[in-house]
Amino acid sequence: MRRLLHEMNPSMKFLAVTGCILALAFFFNPWTPLLFFSGVVLLQVLFSQTNWKLWSLAMLPFLIGAFGYFWTTLVFGQPGEGPVLWTIGTISITAQQWELAWSLSLRVLAFSSISLLFAFTTKPVHFIQSLMQQWKLSPKLAFSVLISYQFLPVFKTEFEQLQQAHRIRGTGAGSSPLKRLTALRRLLIPMLAGAVRKAERAAFAMEARAFTGEARSHYAEIKIGPKDYVLFCLFSLVLTLSCSAIFWA
Amino acid sequence: MLKGWKLKEIVLMSLFGVVFGIVYLLFLHIGNLWAGVIGPLAYEWMFGIWFIVSIISMYIIRKPGAALLPETLAAAIEVMLGNAVGPRLILSGIIQGLGAEAAFALTRYRHFQLGILMTAGAGAGVFSFIYGYFLSGYAALDPSFVALMFTLRVLSGAIIAGVGGKYIADSLLATGSLRGYAIAKAEKGDARA
Repeated sequence: MRRLLHEMNPSMKFLAVTGCILALAFFFNPWTPLLFFSGVVLLQVLFSQTNWKLWSLAMLPFLIGAFGYFWTTLVFGQPGEGPVLWTIGTISITAQQWELAWSLSLRVLAFSSISLLFAFTTKPVHFIQSLMQQWKLSPKLAFSVLISYQFLPVFKTEFEQLQQAHRIRGTGAGSSPLKRLTALRRLLIPMLAGAVRKAERAAFAMEARAFTGEARSHYAEIKIGPKDYVLFCLFSLVLTLSCSAIFWA
Repeated sequence: MLKGWKLKEIVLMSLFGVVFGIVYLLFLHIGNLWAGVIGPLAYEWMFGIWFIVSIISMYIIRKPGAALLPETLAAAIEVMLGNAVGPRLILSGIIQGLGAEAAFALTRYRHFQLGILMTAGAGAGVFSFIYGYFLSGYAALDPSFVALMFTLRVLSGAIIAGVGGKYIADSLLATGSLRGYAIAKAEKGDARA
């Protein structure tokens, strides 16, 4: 039970997550995103093994972002109808505006909760493999992406080496944020030049091993089973329940 | 879409996707902290950063899809690295890529001067704004505030992505590593003419 979400077919999960997000965009009451958020967290508690400490850490920036939405909606939102709740300086806040501010900032949290669910329960390689097998993503593209993804640690070492090389020559980043930003430009060009050379070499290696991108069979088969449909229905249920909030709230 | 692409062009495009996926993620975190303080307006002036890979890749490879695909990939890489915006970022990547692609498609992939690159950056801005308008509920904000956001985003797309993208690609060309790609051939052609 605790591994269900991890084992769900990544393409199906992707479909469920994007579907939910697009549907939520139509709702402007505070209850729908709040209910959805709670539902998603409940699903994650029941059917996944999540490192909740890490989860809270990832959620933190979005909490800050939600706060930004909250006060901008209050200050810059269209003054709606309804009784004025209170006035600060020249800004008077109506009940409608108050509700809207809650709705938009809770929406940020609802979106990030379901996105985190995806991120915490999906292995990148499985996601690409599933896209290739279920959605007929071109193998040429899929394998290029997988190769590029494997280059990530190489990029990291290269980045550090470049930084050190700059420092040895006395052109290090310095401490102020502005200096760091201009230093980033000096690092980016050699990084990209390295990437171009790596791309060429990787493409040669692929062609040398007769990779031409035609139809192929798969060593790791990723299938869609009954439990994927059950989980998909569970996501739909959470979405429907939270959307029904417009009828009783 | 990938017919007529050489394998090395596809791998190059994917690698650009990875490098800029990391850069995008870095700026996403910076933007998020900003946004907490000054609200959604914080993103607008720096939005062009998130369109830049479309411009660079198209300017170098010059084939249909060279703007849409790397932008989508960069977004996918951001998701794979485990950021909390999650899969919907892929959707915004597709939409931003389409915006840039549209500008190049209008010229039938024949012209790649600064003006076209800037139009492509602005196009990505327009497309992403329409998407953001719908998804983040900008409809609820004051129209003049929304207009300000829109202008900032389009300008940022044209300047940061258009001008900045050309600048980065040109400096990359100067390193000599782009021999064998369309950009180097075009450069030679210009010299002959």
